[in-house]
Order: sequence, then C-alpha cells, then structure tokens
Amino acid sequence: MGPRLLAVSGLRKEFPGLRALDDVSFELRSGEILAVVGQNGSGKSTLVKCLAGVYRPEAGTVDLGAPGEAGAPEMHFIHQTRALVPGLSTVENLALGGAGRETGPLRLSKRSERRHARALIGDFGLAFDVDRPITEISPAERTVVAIVRALDGWSRPDNVLVLDEPTAELHGEEVEKLFRVVRQVAAKGAGVIFISHRLDEVTSLSDRVLALRDGRVVGDVPVAECDHDQLIQLIVGEAIGSLDKAARAENREVVLAATGVAGATVRRAALRIKAGEVGGVSGLLGSGRESLAGLLFGARQRTTGTIEVLGKPLRAGDPAASIAARLAYVPPDRHADGAVMEMSVRENLTLPGLRSLRRAFGRLDRRAELREVRRWIDSVGLRPAEPGRRLELFSGGNQQKVVIAKWLRLEPRVLLLDEPTQGVDVGAKLAIYELIDRAAAAGAGVLVSSADAKELVEVCDRVLVMREGAIVAELNGDRLQEKRLLAEELGLDAAHTEQLFDENEEEIRA
Amino acid sequence: MPDQATPTVTKRLAAVLSWLSFRNISAIYIFAVIFIVFSIWVPDTFLAESTWRALIDSQAITALVAIGLVLAVSTGAFNLAIGTEVGLGAILVAWLLAEQGASVPVAIVLTVLAGGVIGLVSGLLITFARIDSFIATLGVSSVLLAVISWVSSDQQILNLSHSFQRIGTGEFLIFTWPVWIMIGVGIVVWYVLERTQGGRHIYATGGNIDAARLAGVKTRRVIVLSLVGCGMITGLGGLLLTSTIGTGDPTVGPAYLLPAFTAVFLGSTQFREGRFNVLGTVLVVYVLAAGVKGFQLAGAPTWIPDLFNGVALLTAVALAKYQGRAGETHVLLRLLRLDRLLRGRSGRGDGKAAGAAAPEA
Repeated sequence: MGPRLLAVSGLRKEFPGLRALDDVSFELRSGEILAVVGQNGSGKSTLVKCLAGVYRPEAGTVDLGAPGEAGAPEMHFIHQTRALVPGLSTVENLALGGAGRETGPLRLSKRSERRHARALIGDFGLAFDVDRPITEISPAERTVVAIVRALDGWSRPDNVLVLDEPTAELHGEEVEKLFRVVRQVAAKGAGVIFISHRLDEVTSLSDRVLALRDGRVVGDVPVAECDHDQLIQLIVGEAIGSLDKAARAENREVVLAATGVAGATVRRAALRIKAGEVGGVSGLLGSGRESLAGLLFGARQRTTGTIEVLGKPLRAGDPAASIAARLAYVPPDRHADGAVMEMSVRENLTLPGLRSLRRAFGRLDRRAELREVRRWIDSVGLRPAEPGRRLELFSGGNQQKVVIAKWLRLEPRVLLLDEPTQGVDVGAKLAIYELIDRAAAAGAGVLVSSADAKELVEVCDRVLVMREGAIVAELNGDRLQEKRLLAEELGLDAAHTEQLFDENEEEIRA
Repeated sequence: MPDQATPTVTKRLAAVLSWLSFRNISAIYIFAVIFIVFSIWVPDTFLAESTWRALIDSQAITALVAIGLVLAVSTGAFNLAIGTEVGLGAILVAWLLAEQGASVPVAIVLTVLAGGVIGLVSGLLITFARIDSFIATLGVSSVLLAVISWVSSDQQILNLSHSFQRIGTGEFLIFTWPVWIMIGVGIVVWYVLERTQGGRHIYATGGNIDAARLAGVKTRRVIVLSLVGCGMITGLGGLLLTSTIGTGDPTVGPAYLLPAFTAVFLGSTQFREGRFNVLGTVLVVYVLAAGVKGFQLAGAPTWIPDLFNGVALLTAVALAKYQGRAGETHVLLRLLRLDRLLRGRSGRGDGKAAGAAAPEA
C-alpha cells in the first residue's frame, strides 16, 4: 500500500434523537479499495455526506493527504443519485466536466467532444448513442456516464474516489466492467471508498472492509480474513438463518394470464401467474425484462395483447383500473415512480386505497387511518416507526418497506415487483423477501423482475427468462440455478449451457 | 420512576417548541414585530379600530383569490392566468348586469361558471395537450385580456344596481360580505385539501405525478378539477371586486397576480413544512397588508406596497432554499424544478426512460 491519502478520526454526527455517526475513525491509503458496509441507517450515507462536506460533523476530523505533504489529493464522489443534467446528452454532460476540450476552453468542438465521449465509454466496453438525452438512456448507461465523468481529467493519479452504490442498477457483466476500471484507477494510485449492499461485490472488489452498525465501526478487517457469512454477521450483529422457501401449493387458480403482450422493449410475451406462487423474470438489460412488469400493470402502454385478471380482461395503460382489478406494482425507481417522497409514511401508505377510510362528506377517518398505518408499520418493521415522518427522511430499505406495505394493505391478487431490493441493505432485503413470501402465502400471485440472478433463485418458485423482447425459457425445480439463468439470458447454445452446467456440478462435487 | 414519563413529556414539549419555531410560524413573529413597531411609531392611527376593519375588508378579495390559487398550485399547476381570471369575472358580471339586463343571481351564477370554464380550458391544455402549466396559463391569460378588452371596449361599465353593490359593501356583524365569503370558501378548500381523499390526491399529484398515477390517482382529472375550482373562486373574486368598487373596470385583474402568488408561496412556509395550505396563505395576506398599512399611515411613499410585496416574495423563496434540514425538499424548489439541479437527481426523466410517461387512460 502507498502513502496515506485520507485519515478520518473520531467523527461524530448527531441528528435530533439519533446519533448517526459515533467515533468513526479509519484511514485510506493510495492504491487501496475500501468497502464500507452496513445496514440502512447504519451511518454509511451520513459518512459519505460528512466526507463530501454536506454535513458538518459535531466532532472529529477528516484529513486529506499524508502529514507534511504539499498539495492534498482531491475527493471525487459518485452518488446513488448521479449528478447528471437530465436534459443534456452524454456528450454534453461529459463536456460539463471538461472532457474533450482539445481546442481550448473557449472553442468547444462538438466533433472532438463526441469522439472523446465515445472513447471514454468505449473503455467500459459500451457503445450507445452519446447524443441522446441522459434521460433516454438506461440507468446502467447513466451510471457509466457519471463514473466516466468523475474519472475524467484528474490532475494527479492518487486522488480519493468515493463510489456510493455505483452498481445498484447494473447487471452482472456490467458490474465486472465497472470493477475492472475501478481496479485500474486504484492500481494507478487512487484510494477508493466503495459502498455497496451486494456483499459478493464487496468481497470480490475490495481490499479491506469497514463495517458500520448504529453509527459505530464494528469491524475494520482485510477482506481475505472474512467470508460471506462473517460479513453478514458483522453487518447485522447476529447470525441469521436463510429464508425458508415456503411450500407453495400446486394447481392453484390462474390469477393473471397474458397473451401476445407487446410494448416498450417487450416484443411478445405470454405468461400465467397462479395464486400463491412466486414467479420471477430474468434477462439482460434490453431483453424486455425491465419493461414486463410495468406493461402487465399498465404503468406503460401496451401496443397489443390481452391481459386477463381472474378471467376478466384488463384495460391497457390504466393504473387505476389495474388497482381496481386488484393488481399491485412496485416500480424499480422508488424516487421517480414508487412513492411521493415529500409526503409522510401515513399518506403514502394509504394513497392507493383511501376509499375504505372515506366517511360522510368525503371526510377521511384519520383516526382509523392512523390505527391502520401503525399496524402496518409494526408489521413491516419500519424504522423509525413514525407515521408522520416524511418518506424522504427514511433510508432506502425503509422507504421500500412502505412502498410494498401500501400494496399489501390492499390484499392484491397479483403483486408485480420490479427490482424490489434495489439500493437496499442485507437486513432490509431479507425483510422484503419475507413480505413477498407473506403476500404469496395470502394467496397473491407474485412476479419478481430482477437483474440479480441470485435473488431470483433464492425467492422464486420458477423463473422466466427473457431475451430480445420475448420469453425464451422457464426454469424451475432443480433447473433453477444461477448459472443456468445466466446462460439462458445470454442465449448460449445448448452445448455451452451443458458445459456450464457440468462445471457447476463439478463444483458441487468438489 | 419518572423516567417512564419523561420521554413523552419531552417529546411533546419538543413538538410544541418545533411548532412554535420561527421556521414554522415566521409570519406570526413578523406580525408581532410589525404590530409593535407601528404601535409605537403611529399609535393614534395604527391602533384605531377603523384601521383594522378597513384592512380586513380591503384584503378579503386578495385572500379569496389566493385561496383559489392554493388549489391549483397544490397539484403542481402554476396558474399564471389568475389575475386575468379576476379581471374577466369583474368585467363579465358588470356586462351581464348593465348591458344584458341579467338579474343579479343569474349574473352571479354565469360569472362563476365562466370562471370554471376558463379553469377547464387551462386544465385540458395542461393535461391533454400536454402544454407546461406556465405556458398554458400564460397563453390563457393573454386570451382573457383580449376578451376583457372586447367585452368592455376598454371602457368602464357603470350603472350597476344598488342591490348588486350591496354584496360587496354590505356588512354582516362586523365585517363586509366579501370577508365572510372568503372565510366560507377558505373553510371549504381547507376541508377538501386537509380532510378528504381528493385533497390527498391533489397533494400527491403535486408531489410526484408519476408516483401518484401509479398509485391509481387519476392525475389528469385531479389537475383539471382543481383548476376548475380555482377558476370558479377567482371568478367569484372578480365579481365581488366589481360589486365593491361599484363599476366594471377592465384594468383591475392583473394586479392580483403578484399578491396572490406571494401569499401562496410565503404561506407554504407556514404551518405545513413547505406544503401549500390555506391557513398560511390567508395569514400571510393579512400580515403583509398590516405591514403595508403601517408604512402608509407613517407617511411612506406610494411605492412602498410594491416594494414590500416584492421583497416578501423573494424572501419566501430564499427561506425555502435555505430551510436547512437535510434531505427535505421544499415545495417551491420542486415547483421551480430547482431540486433536480441541486440534488442532481434525474427525476422525472427516470420515469420517462422507464416508459412511465405513457399516456394515461
């Protein structure tokens, strides 16, 4: 390891009624990749904000550079919410960071900017239209643009790069691409602070793990010295059993039947969801996987096809009608579509189903509402358990619990979830899996769309695989395995699949 | 053990203190300052009962129009036509009475309905033609100016009956009728916003239109209906204005635009942590009016009210921006689309990328 780049000591940050950081100290050296892990609310985000200067800590210091060194290194941040200007294209966003200014600061050459942007993105093995507005490219592509911008034009190689959940929206292969670049940056002398909920990523990328719990450092250990289970134990504080896959009844009634559905990236999809089962949808970015759940619910307009819920046809592109037909949909982007962040937990929880609380003169029975909301807060384990608190003040995992609870309250017959555990920590993840399980046990047909193959294998009874806008395979029982899923997603030929499968069996034997 | 009781007591105390904080009820503190300063400076006139009655009467229509505007902006629709809607109501009722010979009740009903129709048109332009509310209502405003000019031939309409003028000038108990009407409408709008399903749908639509739609809120209907309500209330405001001044004046409307927006924006900083609300809005109308009145009584020049209102509006936005509490988004910034730039979130764009902007049925 190289010289010290960053020293944090005795950091304390308090919010009313909460000590978010308590005596947090650590160091970061040149060439090192440090993973910061912890549950939602453990203080990770607060730590990043203290480093960035968004919060002023009550006590403690953040020192950049080795003692006595002239010219401190810079800190660069890539946040969960990536700081890109929505209306501008990739080229323009990169140019804002100073990329491609070969012609001097006053004469911006569109052509050289574009060339430069393509080259930078090409380093990630990606090629997409750099002239499209940032809002029209995929979340994964946006992440890449944000990272490329932060990496571009460093004045010295040994800066500090802070990556806050950079992989939340990335698919397996893209994650690898990103990691290659991060490792390159570290090899050149940068210190990297990496924050992620995906523990596999933590172990595969980082050199050292800093675990936070309730604002305190509970572990600062080299990755080589702890395995996956120990890591979970550090984060959660206790050993947790893996989720039991409930025995789900076969031959139940079909709650949702779709035929010939097309729209957005889906070209043609037919599927059935039965009451009490948990189905999954898997597929690479652009396979149609990312639009299927939204299409079924009517969040997006389908161009053709019919959907029947409990035997009755469903109007296209009408969420209100879908809810009336007892469909529920948890969208992938909580902030943009999932909830009204400025409203309270209580208001969000009852928003889709206020009818049952309506009394004479349209008055809402607020006492009954509060009782019901308290019950749900209890039932999903919301922290802090304050019904009047605005949703934006909660951690990602707790926000997602509210989003799911608002649908469970309506006792849906079909529950569609799009990336239900995106940006959510290990503890909340398990809690969300339990909620999914509970919904299925209560008789809902559940469909989980996820980029995380491991999650699908863990949660689902069967998984549909999408490729090029169509459902191409279904895996269930023994065939439901991560490697098989991946092979089907990529469309590898049968021989190749078998080969992968054999390797897998060898691993099991070994 | 007192330990059991202490947390709830301190919690309650903290809740009371935070309600009493400057940020939550700054207008009340400002009012106290205004009251003390002018009570000392010009005690004879400022403390006279007649001054306060005149103040309350004269601001009733401004407050009424601002209440209407609360309804519109709460759904995220910036109604810039609010001033000319008042102007149209003012001229239409005079034209119906003096030139068409309509009876008073008929003229009132038609004027309020006309306000509703204007709101309907604005709402349809925003939701179905998908024109940004700024532009849609700016366009409507210009069209209304033309209609006002056409109906009135740019002349004042005189010869209004006494029975009509009594609506604006007649008194009940201690206040004139417009004050009571404003209070009545204010209670209805407050009830709808704070106590009904419709109110939740309105705030949800204004808070995040995509999330509201996916939660089954018929966002288009919500926006159209709240603009219709806003239009009816402003039409009523115009009607009362004509009744109060006794003539149909084609130039009076636009002057209500800035005071109404100032009151609604400043009002959103009161009581409800950045949410547009009726009570804060009405309070702000009167606090500002008391300040202006004080200056006038102290002999300040005529440009003081404009300066006072302008500075108040700018202060409101600045206060909202520096609200300080982390992670909170103030409604003003949201409406001005500043939060996306400040926080760097791609916001609505995500919805579009996800296809959530597909037409709503």
